[in-house]
Amino acid sequence: MSLGDTKSPFDSEEDPMTELKRYFAPTSLDQAVECLKGGNVTILAGGTDLTPQSQAGRIKFRETLMNIRHIPQLSGITLEGNEIRIGALATITEIMEHPLVRQHLPVLVEACDHFASDQIRNAGTLGGNICNASPAGDTLVPLLVLDACVELASMPEAKLYRHCMPISTFFTGPGKTRKSLCELVTGVRIPVPSPDHRSRFYKHGTRPALDISTISIGIAGDIKDGVISNVRVAFGAVAPTPLRATATESALEGRHLDAATIEAAAVAARDEVNPIDDVRATAWYRREMIHNMTKRVLENVAQA
Amino acid sequence: MNVAEKKHRVIEPDSLIGKRIPKMDAPDKASGRTRYIHDINLPGQLHGKILRSARIHALIKSIDTSAARALPGVHVVITAADIADQRPIGVAKDHFPLKVGRVRSQRDEIAAVAAESEEIAEAALKLIKVEYEDLPVIGNPEDSIKPGAVLIHPEPHGADGTHLHLKQGTSIAHKGKPDNVAMRFDYTHGDVVHGEAESDVVIEDTFKLHYVTHCCMGVSGMIAEFDAGGNVLMYSNTQVPFLHKREFAEYLNIDPARIRSRKDGTLTFRQVHTLHDNGAYTSWGATTPFVMMQTFSSLYRVPHCDYHTAAVYTNNPYAGSFRGYGNLQATFAIEQHMDMLAETIGMDPLEFRMKNAQEAGEVTGQGMSFKSCGFKDCIKTAAGRSDFSRKFAENHANQKKPGNIKRGIGMASMLHVGGGAKIYPSDGCGTILKLDDFANVTLITGASEIGQGSETVLSQLVCEELGLPISAVTVVNNDTAITPWDVGVHASRTTFVAGNSAIGAARKAKSKILAVAAKKFDCTEADLDLRGGFVIRADSGEALVELSKLLRNLHFQDKAELVMTTFYYEPPSVHQDKGFKGDVSAAYAWGTQVVEVEVDTDTGFIKLLKVTGAHDVGRVLNRLGIEGQIEGGVVMGQGYAFTEDLMIEDGKMKNPNFRDYKLVTAPEIPEMDIAFIESMDGEGPQGAKGVGEAPAICMAAAAANAIANATGTRLFELPFTPEKVYRALHGQAPKRYWKPWKAE
Ligand SMILES: Cc1cc2nc3c(=O)[nH]c(=O)nc-3n(C[C@H](O)[C@H](O)[C@H](O)COP(=O)(O)OP(=O)(O)OC[C@H]3O[C@@H](n4cnc5c(N)ncnc54)[C@H](O)[C@@H]3O)c2cc1C
Repeated sequence: MSLGDTKSPFDSEEDPMTELKRYFAPTSLDQAVECLKGGNVTILAGGTDLTPQSQAGRIKFRETLMNIRHIPQLSGITLEGNEIRIGALATITEIMEHPLVRQHLPVLVEACDHFASDQIRNAGTLGGNICNASPAGDTLVPLLVLDACVELASMPEAKLYRHCMPISTFFTGPGKTRKSLCELVTGVRIPVPSPDHRSRFYKHGTRPALDISTISIGIAGDIKDGVISNVRVAFGAVAPTPLRATATESALEGRHLDAATIEAAAVAARDEVNPIDDVRATAWYRREMIHNMTKRVLENVAQA
Repeated sequence: MNVAEKKHRVIEPDSLIGKRIPKMDAPDKASGRTRYIHDINLPGQLHGKILRSARIHALIKSIDTSAARALPGVHVVITAADIADQRPIGVAKDHFPLKVGRVRSQRDEIAAVAAESEEIAEAALKLIKVEYEDLPVIGNPEDSIKPGAVLIHPEPHGADGTHLHLKQGTSIAHKGKPDNVAMRFDYTHGDVVHGEAESDVVIEDTFKLHYVTHCCMGVSGMIAEFDAGGNVLMYSNTQVPFLHKREFAEYLNIDPARIRSRKDGTLTFRQVHTLHDNGAYTSWGATTPFVMMQTFSSLYRVPHCDYHTAAVYTNNPYAGSFRGYGNLQATFAIEQHMDMLAETIGMDPLEFRMKNAQEAGEVTGQGMSFKSCGFKDCIKTAAGRSDFSRKFAENHANQKKPGNIKRGIGMASMLHVGGGAKIYPSDGCGTILKLDDFANVTLITGASEIGQGSETVLSQLVCEELGLPISAVTVVNNDTAITPWDVGVHASRTTFVAGNSAIGAARKAKSKILAVAAKKFDCTEADLDLRGGFVIRADSGEALVELSKLLRNLHFQDKAELVMTTFYYEPPSVHQDKGFKGDVSAAYAWGTQVVEVEVDTDTGFIKLLKVTGAHDVGRVLNRLGIEGQIEGGVVMGQGYAFTEDLMIEDGKMKNPNFRDYKLVTAPEIPEMDIAFIESMDGEGPQGAKGVGEAPAICMAAAAANAIANATGTRLFELPFTPEKVYRALHGQAPKRYWKPWKAE
């Protein structure tokens, strides 16, 4: 199948679903993307989303089930120049415990600390959380406020092709991303934040462990002399995708974190989210929580 | 040991009662060795699958099973049409195992397949074609009783009188209902009109309750086989093996209650109306008013009481029984009203309760006779240990102060049957006991072990009589071909009823042994006792002979004899009369729980800080077991109060998974301080009463009172999820039914 073919899986999210026929566990990135060429492949990482989804009949396996856990290029957490690279196979536990992450990206540690349970954290991967593209995915909000890029690999012709995409443009809807069926996520790249950088994550659920976010909030910025700049705000579970909150950001950018600014930002936040009613909460309650907790997080940052 | 030494050996008195004894089944459970129904596989067994309704409420126009029958590997496909004499099940016999002509709720059974593998059976289900004609769906009980509502059971069904093989023939037929009312209960004592005239203060409120379900480790199932003699052998998981009844567990009622008192704090009358969502068929849920009315009429002294209720059909899943059997719901209303009344007349809530609490010796308007009653001790102990009065006043003063974190403390108490409940013709239990030549005991009891620890407690009671270590006992309790009658594991009755039965059998064995020993040692039976595996002199404790040796002597002689006894215990309780009056239990259990919470008014999130409980348990038999029972019950009550909610919309379950049906997880479990009040019940085994259901009952009511103490806001609807609390705090009506997933 060439790139020019209108039915190419490179172009569309169309699902050529068939019965599972083949299991494949590549040991190199080249083997993996070669296998992905036809597009009729289900990728398996930790399986913590895939297994319950297939058991509930919400997804069907494609012809080939490809276990990516033996590809060395997908693991590890490293400092590369001014960027921290986290491999797609890094588990939530590995991320939480890694010294580079703990030192530079505490907001990601905070999110991981509210993620599922130990058992799920030991199996679930960052790549899986990103590709599952749930509006409530807990690492996605911190990755948005950290301005992460998603690394993608594919083999459009005979050669390995790799490129990066800002995570703020990666998600298109619940479970939907710009990644084509022939692409593999190999990791994320996060610029090392400046020394003035401050960031916070808040997850609202009904219980301390094993809960899907009702809403989540990430706020990051550089704070100097009480003024916040380079502000990035993101919200989870309040729109079809995890959301960069640009109106809230403008309400804060370059301002003193005083009571008036904080209230204005909280109101902007409430007005720019677009939540739904579901079994976890109503849209009304989600908006209220976005307002109240954005305010609380900002007050907390201002006091620190 | 030589004879000279043995003569001088003195055995000190010892008792197993009140000790911490690990449950006999704990090692198997903890190591995963316990076999549940799905662990059993018989050679050559077929696999059954059930086709469930694709509609909530519809007429079945046709069922075509031909393709399914033709599938290789399928042995049989049955529908209602294949069973000429299908017998309806359930409390009102309104429920066919395989539905005839109509489906009335989600997951109604239409056809059953038996095939050589699960996969083949599953594939066969897909080949069955059913044509439906949809009927309007009744999704809540208010709609069910509206004039013109679609009828759910209009047609007669069941035996038509020709089912002679069933003997009961006509009595099992369901005649069809001209309205949607499945059952009514009307209860009165005193004269509420008179009570009303005497009252200074009235409060009246409506409480709405949610559906919850038991979440068992082992899921339901059944395996059956014929033995060579043609007998059916069935393996199933049930708490009532002798009744073979099926129980399911959701429950809802709407419960407007009026309660009045005089200004001096004396309750004058109580009037309650409840509307119960029965679901599509009548199971045990419809009978929970039996228990609810005990709380309304008799938890506190109330001279005039009036209670009317109806359980009505809807197209929701049918309601069964749940730990506490309606008492969580009744207590939720009653105990909130106790706080509200106290506040209205300006009385301390503790003092108000003490003033109206029942005492030993009282016979209530409903005819319950409280021979032992530790109620006031429960209130005092729970309040004292939690420093209730100081905290209550302090929190109340803090309500209006700035800050979004508020603390609250609340209390609730309960009354529940603790000596069985005579709801069937028999509330008894039989025991067969035998001692072998080595003084090992086999205790054959009708009482099932369903995880509550009855094997351990029954063994303790037997050992206490026979002076043997607990390791000497083997309990047989799981085969109806062997064990004697027991009505079932319900009504918190096993320790009390099966315990008294086991003691009876053990005492008969003991007196036979002592009679033999008295002859041998030329004294009277009263001079002797059994202790530490020996026959001893009662006064000095001097060991006379090893019990095992005495038993062997008895056995291996010319007039050989074995020690085998039987005993049947029927508690001295009575059936209620037509007006629901009578002393239905041989003893009553009491308890008070104090709940402390922290409310975040910005989110509605509640942190459960501490539960202080005081329970009148009669007497502690196995301390480890009763601690586990109470703590587990508190956690179950916590789930009922805060997190568990079976969301049903138009007859469909919205959260049929443990992601969205939220059981309490370990980090949420609060600190607990549990005290036991030992009222030493005269009829109870070693003084004990049943406590199986008791600990789950108070939590929701106490939590509601704690939230009111923290915030000044009353919640009349369960569960207290963050959103529900937040809405109440911000004057928004609770939102009960949830829209399905769809983007705005
Ligand atoms: C009990 C439980 C609790 C949970 N709690 C939380 C929680 O609190 N917060 C939260 O955010 N999530 C939670 N989850 C969801 C899940 O654990 C996470 O989304 C996890 O990060 C998924 O990673 P995985 O490796 O298991 O993904 P998998 O299940 O292996 O894959 C998920 C999806 O991503 C695709 N995929 C995986 N890796 C790649 C790749 N490198 N390139 C391309 N496609 C890929 C797969 O094909 C699949 O579609 C929970 C799940 C369970 C079962």
